[in-house]
Amino acid sequence: MKSALVLGARRELGTVAVVAGLCGAYAGALLVASDVLKVNSDQAGDISAVGVVLGVVASVFIAVAVYVSAVVIVNGVDTVIAGRLRQIALLRLLGADAGSLRGAVVRGTTGVAAAGVTGGVLTGVLVGDLTRVVLVHADRLPDGDYPVIPVLVGPAAVVVTIAAAGASWVGSRAVLRATPAEALSGASVPSPEPPRSSSLRRRLAAGLVGTGALVLGGAAALGESGTALGFLAAAAGAMVSGTGLLVGARLVVPRLVAWTSRLLGSDPPSTVAARNAVRDPGRTTRSTMGLVIGVTLVTTFAAGFAALRSSADSWDGMTAGQAAQTDDILRHTSTVMICLVVVSSVIAAVGFVSTMSLGVIHRTREIGLLRALGFTAGQVRTMITKESVALSATAVVFGMALGLAYGALGAQALVGFRTDGFVWGVPGPMLVGVAVAGVLLVLAASWVPSSRAVAVSPVVALRADG
Amino acid sequence: MCAGAGVPSVEGMDSLLSFHAVRKVYGDGPGAVRALDGVTVTVPRGGFTAVMGPSGSGKSTFMNVAAGLDDVSAGEVHLAGRPLHQLDDRARTVLRREQVGFVFQSFNLVPTLDVLENVLLPFELAARRLSTEERAWVDHLIEVLGLADRVGHRPGELSGGQQQRVAIARALAARPAVVLADEPTGNLDTRSSREVLGLLRTAAREYGQTIVMVSHDPVAASYADRVLVLADGRLVGDHDAMTPQQIAELLISFEEGAA
Repeated sequence: MKSALVLGARRELGTVAVVAGLCGAYAGALLVASDVLKVNSDQAGDISAVGVVLGVVASVFIAVAVYVSAVVIVNGVDTVIAGRLRQIALLRLLGADAGSLRGAVVRGTTGVAAAGVTGGVLTGVLVGDLTRVVLVHADRLPDGDYPVIPVLVGPAAVVVTIAAAGASWVGSRAVLRATPAEALSGASVPSPEPPRSSSLRRRLAAGLVGTGALVLGGAAALGESGTALGFLAAAAGAMVSGTGLLVGARLVVPRLVAWTSRLLGSDPPSTVAARNAVRDPGRTTRSTMGLVIGVTLVTTFAAGFAALRSSADSWDGMTAGQAAQTDDILRHTSTVMICLVVVSSVIAAVGFVSTMSLGVIHRTREIGLLRALGFTAGQVRTMITKESVALSATAVVFGMALGLAYGALGAQALVGFRTDGFVWGVPGPMLVGVAVAGVLLVLAASWVPSSRAVAVSPVVALRADG
Repeated sequence: MCAGAGVPSVEGMDSLLSFHAVRKVYGDGPGAVRALDGVTVTVPRGGFTAVMGPSGSGKSTFMNVAAGLDDVSAGEVHLAGRPLHQLDDRARTVLRREQVGFVFQSFNLVPTLDVLENVLLPFELAARRLSTEERAWVDHLIEVLGLADRVGHRPGELSGGQQQRVAIARALAARPAVVLADEPTGNLDTRSSREVLGLLRTAAREYGQTIVMVSHDPVAASYADRVLVLADGRLVGDHDAMTPQQIAELLISFEEGAA
C-alpha cells in the first residue's frame, strides 16, 4: 500500500513492466538463437571456441539492453516521485520514515519488474522455439538436439530484476529530500536541488574518453598492419571511451540539449520548452542517453558494415562472383546485427515517451497557469512538441556522430591493411531510417501528453494538486 | 449558445466588465450545482472591487467566468466591449492575453522563467516589443515592488510574498483592462498581506488600474472601493468601501440569514 501511495497509479509503473518485459523477451530470444547456433557448430564438428564466443556476444548484447533498461527505470521512478513529492511529504508528516518509504518504492518496482521480465522471457523463449521449429520443419535448419529452454534464461531474468531493483533504488533518492514541513508550507514551487560537486566526475570522464580515443587511434593505425590485435584494441577503446561518455554525459548532455533548443526559436512556447528540456539535468541526461546508446549502437553497426562493404569493393584478387558473395554476406550480417541492437533503441524510446508523458502530467498546474496567462492550446502543443524535439534531436545527432566514428574506426582496425587510406562508409538509408524513427518518436512522445494537457480546462488545471 | 448574438453590450461604454443574468451550473440532474444563479452586475472602468462571500458562494466561478477561463451556462458576459460568452477558446485566450492580468492565491509564476521573464511574459505572448515608455513602466514597477535585486532569480528562490509581488508586477506590466486577483493574500503572512493589498489599492488609485479581487477575508475586502457580496451563487450585496468590522458583520448576517 505504501508503494501505491508513493508511486501512485499502476500506469506510472507500467513503463517498468514494459521495459523489463522487452528486456526479458530479448534475452530469451537471443539465448535460444545462441543455443541453436552453438548446437549447429558442435554438430559440424567445430572444436573451436564458437560456443564461448557466441555466449560472450549474447551476454554483451543482453548486458547493453539491461543497462539501457536500468537507465529508463531510474528515470521512470525519478519522474514519478518528482511529481509526488507533496504527497510523500504528507506521508512523512503523518509519521512514515523516509527509509521505509524508499524501501516500499524499491519493493514495488522490483515486483513489477520481476513480473514483467518473467512474462518477457517466457514470450521470448516461446517465440524463439517456435521460430526454430518452423525453420527445422522447412529444412532451413538441421534437425538437432536443441534445448527447449536455454540454461542461461534463469540467470538473465534474475540479472534484469536485480538491475531494476538497483535502478529503483537510485531513482528513488528524491524520497529522502521530501521533508514533512513541505506538506504544510504553501510553497508550491519546489526549491532547486543543490548542485553536486562534479570535479571528480569531470576528471574521470575526461580520462576515460581521452584514453579510449587514444586506444581507438592506435587501433586504426594497427589496422594498417593487418594484425587481429587492431580490432580487439578498437573494441577496448570503444568500451573505455563509451564508459567515459556515460560518466561525463551529465556534464555535457544538458548543454547540448540547451544548445539544440536554442535553434527552436525564442517565442514564449519555445523559451519555456527549452527551459523544461533542461529543467532537471539528471533526468534530461538519462532520457537523452538512453536514446544515444540505442542510436549509437545501430549507427555503429550500420556504419561499420558500410565501411567494410566499400572497402571490400576495392579488394584485389577477387572474381566478380566472389565479390558479390562477400557483399551479400556482409549485407546480411549487417542486417542481423542491426536487428540485434535495435532492441536497446526500442527500450530507450519507450522510456522517452513515458518520461515525457509523466512530465507533462506533473506540469498540469503550470500548463493551467500558462493557459490563463494567454498561451493558446496550439502554443501549449507547440511547447510540448518542441521540448520533445530538443531532447530527441540531440540524442539522434549525438548518437549518429558517435556511431559513424566508432563504425569507421572499427572497420579500419579490422581491414585497414586491405585498402589504401582510412576505411569509412556512410550508411545512407540507415541514417534516414534513424532520422525518420526519431521524428516518429517525437510525435509519439508529444502527441498524447499534449492532447491531454490542452483537454484539461485551465480552471481545473490550476486547482490540480501539485 | 446564447440568444441575442451580435447585439452589442447593453451596458454603457464605461462598463468594463458586465454580467447579465449569468448562470453557471456544474453537473446535471439532482446533483447539479448552481455556482452562479442569475448574476447581473457591472464593473466600470477604474476602481478596486472586492467580491466577497463564504466558501461555495460562487466567488471563484465569478472570477473564472469573468476571465473567460470558464464557459457560462446561460447569460451574457462582456469584457472590454467583447462578448466573452460568444467567443471560442482561442479568441478568449487572446482577449485574456491582451486585456486581463492575473494574481492567484498561489502558483502564480512559471517556475522555469526568472523574475524578469515572468513579468515580461504578457508582452512576449502578444509578440510585442516594449516601447521605451513601457520599458520605463516595467522598470518602475520592479523598483516600486522592491524586486530590483531579484530580477534574475527563479520563483523557487523567492519567498511567498516576493512571488506575489512578482505576480502583481506581471499583472500590471501590460496595463491590462482589468486585473483579476483570486485570494491574492490567501497564502501570505499578515505583513506580506497588508503590503500586497496596499500595492493593489495604489495601482487602482494612482494608476487608474481596474482591479477585481475575489476574497473571503474582510480585512482584504476593506481595501476596496466597492464590495460585492455573493451567497449561493446570487449577488446579495453591493456596497461602497467598508471597514473590516462592517464587512464581517455583513457576512455573518448572511450566514445567519441562511441558517
